[in-house]
Amino acid sequence: MAAARGVIPYRPVRARGDDTAWLGMVIFLGSWAMMFASLFFAYGVLRLRQPSWPPVGTPPLPQLLPAVNTGVLALNAASLQLALQSARQGRRGQVVAALLGGLAFGGLFVALQVLLWVGLFRSGLVLEDGSLAAVVYGLTGFHALHVAVGLVGLLALVPAAVAGTLNAARHTRLRLWVMYWHFVGAVWLTLYVLIFLL
Amino acid sequence: MTAQEAALNRQAIEALQPIHAPPTSFFRKYIWSLDHKVIAKQYLWSGLLFLLVGGILAMMIRWQWAFPGQPMPILGPTVLARSGGVIGPGLYMQIFTMHGLIMIFFAITPILIGAFGNFTIPLLIGARDMAFPWLNALSFWVFALSQCLVIAAFFGDLGAAGAGWTTYPPLATNIGTPGTGQTLMVAAVFVTGVASIMGGINYVTTVIRLRAPGMTYLRMPLTVWGQFLTAILNVLFVPVLGSAALLLLMDRIFGTQFFIAGAAAVKGGGDPILFQHLFWIFGHPEVYILILPAWGIVADLLSYFSRKPANWYRGSVLAMSAVTVLSAVVYGHHMFQTGMNPLLGQGFMLLTLIISIPAEVLFLNWLRTIYKGSVRLTVPMLFALGMVFVFGFGGLTGLYLGAVAPDIYLHDTMFVVGHFHFTMAAASFLASFAGLYYWFPKMFGRMMSTRLGKAHFWISVIGITLVFGGQLLVGYAGQNRRLWNPFEYDLFRPLAPLNRWTSYAAFTLFFGQLIFVWNFFASLARGQKAENNPWQVGTLEWSTSSPPPPHNYDLIPVVLRGPHELSNPELKAALGRDWVGQAEVVATQLPGAARASGRGAT
Repeated sequence: MAAARGVIPYRPVRARGDDTAWLGMVIFLGSWAMMFASLFFAYGVLRLRQPSWPPVGTPPLPQLLPAVNTGVLALNAASLQLALQSARQGRRGQVVAALLGGLAFGGLFVALQVLLWVGLFRSGLVLEDGSLAAVVYGLTGFHALHVAVGLVGLLALVPAAVAGTLNAARHTRLRLWVMYWHFVGAVWLTLYVLIFLL
Repeated sequence: MTAQEAALNRQAIEALQPIHAPPTSFFRKYIWSLDHKVIAKQYLWSGLLFLLVGGILAMMIRWQWAFPGQPMPILGPTVLARSGGVIGPGLYMQIFTMHGLIMIFFAITPILIGAFGNFTIPLLIGARDMAFPWLNALSFWVFALSQCLVIAAFFGDLGAAGAGWTTYPPLATNIGTPGTGQTLMVAAVFVTGVASIMGGINYVTTVIRLRAPGMTYLRMPLTVWGQFLTAILNVLFVPVLGSAALLLLMDRIFGTQFFIAGAAAVKGGGDPILFQHLFWIFGHPEVYILILPAWGIVADLLSYFSRKPANWYRGSVLAMSAVTVLSAVVYGHHMFQTGMNPLLGQGFMLLTLIISIPAEVLFLNWLRTIYKGSVRLTVPMLFALGMVFVFGFGGLTGLYLGAVAPDIYLHDTMFVVGHFHFTMAAASFLASFAGLYYWFPKMFGRMMSTRLGKAHFWISVIGITLVFGGQLLVGYAGQNRRLWNPFEYDLFRPLAPLNRWTSYAAFTLFFGQLIFVWNFFASLARGQKAENNPWQVGTLEWSTSSPPPPHNYDLIPVVLRGPHELSNPELKAALGRDWVGQAEVVATQLPGAARASGRGAT
């Protein structure tokens, strides 16, 4: 049929629908990237307006926990990529294991974030403490919210993974959630470098 | 192509968008409907309702400027009974704040983008529905939630939001407006932004992925181009507004200090100007978000009712795209007075004034489209012509405000108010009505009354010109905007009669809309049944029934030519009429000729 002249070449309907879903996800992530870009822009403006950074009288930011958490998110990204790879090759057991791994690392990230906030709060940085507190609590909080949404999304995929319906032919849901998680990871990396390192 | 090949092609095309079983339950038909046409109507109803609310608020503002401190008739004894019918300064601030926010986010946006975008995009590109029907339904209900938040804001303690539609801090923080009304409105803007983004993702994906075979980008009607570019701007810049609203909500609810500075912030604090940056990075594209769909609709209608192809179709597409790109880099002209670096200010001025070049291209294309056309003065055409007229005013007054020197004098005067009402309120408003009169037969299967439509048009266009023209005049004389009683100041006292006459025009404009309301409901109930193609236009939506079936097209059309193929002499000779459908196969036409005429050439 492909050789026939004058026939419109077309791909199977499901593949076309999957491509459409992928495009929608790309547009959504582009849109959300603008949201985070604006938040980082806000951070930049606030920081440049201060005579010194961190502002006088605010405790130093912890260095260890955010670094560990960056590693945790990297492990999460690796497991999710493995889950996607396994789904493409149709290895059901590995999909489930890698998915659960991704969930565990994601959960660990949120737990460590909470620890970070509690520590900061104990060291005397409260929400009302000017722009540093606003940026640190506001931006990490909003980011953690996205991690939480991602956890719910992965959790909803577990039954399908166990049942084996995330296979070589159908894995778009997993693919889109992995894209989302990579996006969240990239945002964290930016956030970590801009707020905790620089 | 052999018959077998043709059958294979048809099979392939039909398989791409299968026909789903039409919904049967009431819930799936009218509440959680996945049909883009039903969702469009949901947006239309909710938008029209809030247009009425915003209009009533406008009348209260106009009453205050005509008769400051006097008890208001009709609304005075009912809504304002507690204050004896008088509008006090605090209430006045809430009225103009709510008027602006409601009109922009909850009336014009849902009508122009929610209703027309949803209705036209799939129909005009030959698709059976949106790319993500489920997301589409969710988008409407999220929008409905934001409207509920707006209604709730009216009942907030200390009243509704009162920090102006721009919601600048520190006035918009708990220091200036501590009531729940303000918080609810900021939340409503955030939620409606989420709905806009969902809609935008859907529109962009639909245009990219679901165009019928042969519907190339340069065969799309300009209406679709307008909606497509608007959707791109929505997707990219509404999140920036979202971030501003988010940070403001954190300040208001959790006590952070993103926007609080000075004495209120003990330990360093934030920066109120930051909000203005975020707001206008979004705000200037927003201006074009509200005018691009209007431009698209009007450009199409002018061609259809002049019975001529749109002049330099590609130029219009190019101009609209150029405006879309430029709109992202001009926001600073809203902030000349914030202590911005003068060099930066000049850069923004230059970029702003450059926008007038593509806008000019578009405008001249409209004029050249009607020039020497066989103009049919139908109601949609009248509204389209009215839009061209008022947009001329809006565009020209924009030049004064885009340049630094005159802006310093005109900043925060009624001149600004007149300018943006001529573009956003008058032009978008008239284009909305043009679209509504034009697609009403396709939406509801009935015709609207032409006589009432014409009366509505003349009252609207004259009323709008007088009202916003009056604002330009008092603004040029120096009257500041947002003054509760401008005539407390000696220098504005001579402007009182002009303000009062402007108010009379505004009241006439408002009550003139009742003609439309009557016409709308009467036509819905017992209007003349519409034919499939009452306007004799060739775009795809007129080739299906009025109203279309849930799946739009029994067979997905295969498009052969551009949208404005009117008065083509060869086709006229072959068909005996001056229009031809975009997917219509004309027997005498050679395949090569069909391709050549599809370029949208003039």
